[in-house]
Amino acid sequence: MKVQYSFLKNFLSTDLSQAKLADVFTKVGFECECEGSIIDFDITPNRGDVLSLRGLQREFQAQQSKVFKDTLHYKTLTFKKDKTIINKIDKSGCGNYQLMLVQGLTSVRALDSKKRNFLSAAGVSLIHPLVDLGNYVMLEMGTPMHVFDSDHLELPLNILFPISKTPFQAIGGDTKIVEPSSLTIQDQKGIQAIAGIIGGHETSVSKSTKSIAVEAAFFNPDKIANQARKYGLATDASHRFERGVDPELQQRALARFLCLLKEIAQYDSIGCYEGSSAKLKPRAISLSVERFNNFSGLLLSPKKIKLSLETLGFTSMPTKTAHLKFQVPSHRFDMELEEDLYEEILRCYGYDNIPINPPKSGPVARATDYSASEKFKGGLVFGGFQELMHMPFVSTETFNALNSNDWSPAELSNPINENEPLMRGSLFGSLFSAINLNVKKGYSAMKFFEHGNVFHKVKNDFAQESHISGLIYFHESQKTWSDKSLQYDFYSLKAEVLRLLETLRVKSIKLAPNASSTTFTINAMDIFAGKKKIGMLGEINPTATQKLIKNPAFGFEIYPEKISTKPSTLKLKPVSKFPSSSRDLNILITQSYSYAEIETVLLNNKIQFLHSLGLVNTFEGKGIPNGSISMTLRFMFQSPVKSLKESEINTSMDKAFHLLNKAFKAKIRS
Amino acid sequence: MQIPQDLIETAALKLKSVQSEAEFFQLRSQYLGKKSFVLSSFAQLKSLDANSKVAAAKELNILKGKLNKLFEAAIKEIQAKTDVSLLDVTLPADPYLVGAEHPIAEISQRVINYFLPLNYQVFSGNEIETDFFNFEALNFPENHPARQMHDTFYLNAGSKSEYLLRTHTSNSQIHAMLREPLPLYMLSPGRVYRCDSDTTHLPMFTQIEGLVVDEDINFGDLKGIIINFLEYFFNEKMEVRFRPSYFPFTEPSAEVDIKFGNNGWLEVLGCGMVHPNVLKGCNIDTQKYRGFAFGMGIERLAMLYYGVEDIRDFYSSNLDFLNQF
Repeated sequence: MKVQYSFLKNFLSTDLSQAKLADVFTKVGFECECEGSIIDFDITPNRGDVLSLRGLQREFQAQQSKVFKDTLHYKTLTFKKDKTIINKIDKSGCGNYQLMLVQGLTSVRALDSKKRNFLSAAGVSLIHPLVDLGNYVMLEMGTPMHVFDSDHLELPLNILFPISKTPFQAIGGDTKIVEPSSLTIQDQKGIQAIAGIIGGHETSVSKSTKSIAVEAAFFNPDKIANQARKYGLATDASHRFERGVDPELQQRALARFLCLLKEIAQYDSIGCYEGSSAKLKPRAISLSVERFNNFSGLLLSPKKIKLSLETLGFTSMPTKTAHLKFQVPSHRFDMELEEDLYEEILRCYGYDNIPINPPKSGPVARATDYSASEKFKGGLVFGGFQELMHMPFVSTETFNALNSNDWSPAELSNPINENEPLMRGSLFGSLFSAINLNVKKGYSAMKFFEHGNVFHKVKNDFAQESHISGLIYFHESQKTWSDKSLQYDFYSLKAEVLRLLETLRVKSIKLAPNASSTTFTINAMDIFAGKKKIGMLGEINPTATQKLIKNPAFGFEIYPEKISTKPSTLKLKPVSKFPSSSRDLNILITQSYSYAEIETVLLNNKIQFLHSLGLVNTFEGKGIPNGSISMTLRFMFQSPVKSLKESEINTSMDKAFHLLNKAFKAKIRS
Repeated sequence: MQIPQDLIETAALKLKSVQSEAEFFQLRSQYLGKKSFVLSSFAQLKSLDANSKVAAAKELNILKGKLNKLFEAAIKEIQAKTDVSLLDVTLPADPYLVGAEHPIAEISQRVINYFLPLNYQVFSGNEIETDFFNFEALNFPENHPARQMHDTFYLNAGSKSEYLLRTHTSNSQIHAMLREPLPLYMLSPGRVYRCDSDTTHLPMFTQIEGLVVDEDINFGDLKGIIINFLEYFFNEKMEVRFRPSYFPFTEPSAEVDIKFGNNGWLEVLGCGMVHPNVLKGCNIDTQKYRGFAFGMGIERLAMLYYGVEDIRDFYSSNLDFLNQF
């Protein structure tokens, strides 16, 4: 809410500077920003009662420990009930409805310049002197008013919810289809206003208006909330009614309107009518002084507590218990519980005056899975990867390029960018864009990773999975000044990922080829920890990059939530004191067999004393038959209890070759 | 037989100026070759009487031994020098990539690092959430204007349940209170979403939520930990201000401002005592337990800490920007 400083200063009868006045309100919960000669108040949604000069005045006086004193002038009015003026009222939506009929208006002139400037500074457009006056009283007192041209009304009025969807021409000429959930002001012709939101075009005041009906009402906040949005509207009236308007203020507001009307027009007669005066039951809240002091860490006396609340309009009530009891003023819609009173007392006392305690710690913390992803990310950083973060919104094309058909996207119903209506199903899309951007900036070698959630729809629910995805891209071949070439290929990637997983002590890591991924080419592998798939790695499929990157790239994705880093009981093997011996075996084998198959046969068949197995090299070409490959395998033998004899090693090597020959028809390469 | 006293010293001195193996062997020949003083002196022993012969032979053997040791040590040193070709060690290293955490991750970790030693458990919550956990259980009644403070993204669920992108990490409070035993000291870092975008707002940003539910918790405990944390984070004594505010899930609620650098008051986080309705909704006895909660925007802290002016830079993937951290 924007208020002209000079106007507010006079209203509050204070000499405080603009900055100091703003500071006073900020400290009690109404954050202010000074914009030139205007103070912009950030009024939180629970304090609709402060959306007026009178509301600000009440808070200001409370800060000076003064009980609120109304300084405005009013006309004395008498309201009567008349079914020919106000007939039916739906009490679930309307607590009270007051109408002041003013007839024979002449010499209508504009509000004085101070009031006009005040309205303009508050962002309220000047429309017609009678409408402007209604708006002025709203800003002064906090209760919205609506001014009808009563010559276009066919009384009596009914305040009812429409039975069905009904077209209605609002002020300005737009036609709105009024929903049955919206309370309306209806005359004998039909809807003339959407209650608390906007008036009708037909009954709006104009230069020719001679008679008016001024409405002041209390509409139930629950029935107004979110209604304006349905019609694409956000009016000053709906803003206030949604937050709650003092239900005891309406007749007084009409008296104020009439008082000010005399300054800008002449009229023949007035008539004031009340449709309902069902007063809301006064609310009372009890307060335990001891509980309050435990809650706040203060030691306030009952007298001090009473004084604080009374300056804010609460009335101390007699009680037979040790507790205090207060009646809540009608303008405070945010008061329900004892803790609500605590806040009021502490606001008066000043949050900054509450004593400070040293930090407390909790019971012994239990290990969470949080550490697995953090450790993995730390490893990537030390491996030269730059971490990136991106928005998770993607286009349908990107989603489809990176996710298989069995992944249904999580789709937003109100995306901020209509070209990106889906939540990402993979982190790679943004990583490709990041490569593309930085290549344009002249970077030629990049290792990126991102940690975040990916999303998809599962039946009528949604799933989110934590991924850490990485991408390695060399835009140009990397050479040193000495012309040494630095290569990065599938096997470098494999080493990089395995190094990290093994450093994390992930148990039973296994890799298995996966040629059916959308993101990767056929040169890709699933990563397992035991039987649980914990990630993938491979050569990036150029189609998946949507032309964002031109050269081969390598990537991985790890699912950190599936990696367990819980410490397990170790079963230590005795360390052998005896020397190890290695033997190489050079074989010829058909190319169609993978190294993994060879490894499996050798490791699963209990070759005595075999400690480890490795690949020294592979060779194809001169001297090697077509369709075959030469492999040099290195066998390491060791016994935990003795030094091995040459004959024992030879026996094991014979078995190894026998197994290879039987399984793959392998031959010794001479 | 007259043995020069400075033979060893002279040999050692000459060896120091030797640059190559050739020079070494030439010098060695002078001192240990056939025509050297030591070896030619052995040939002259036969001309001495028996007693003198024994004494001189002993002295010559000692001298020969010392010379041998001296030359053996020297050749090793010369060979070590000549085996390694001299490099220009000032030439550049092979190309390498320097890794780095994202500044937002780094700041998040800095926050978490304060709370871990205080035994706060870290929980990450759901980014796609139901209306119940994001609003209702946090005391945001349906249609309440407080919901309008959060420009919410909704999802097409095709079911009656209303799914949305969480607007704050406070949803984790509810999950934790319903699941974990009390007392509860927890922290929940994560991404949150609001339908908003400009130089200071993004549709996605990072929050860290803290929650404590324990016996005998009061407002002074909340103030204490917040001030202590801020001084840890900014590594200096801070001027901190608590001012009343409104969050539906805390009562009383406060915004916390600090004075940092040459600026006036800067808002850094929101906090408050947990609203009794929230505790009751999680089946917590409000006569026995009270709690406090706080939440901070990591981008906001990072912008202050590093002096970043445009929040969008954090998510630009621009290495020119990121390499500076």
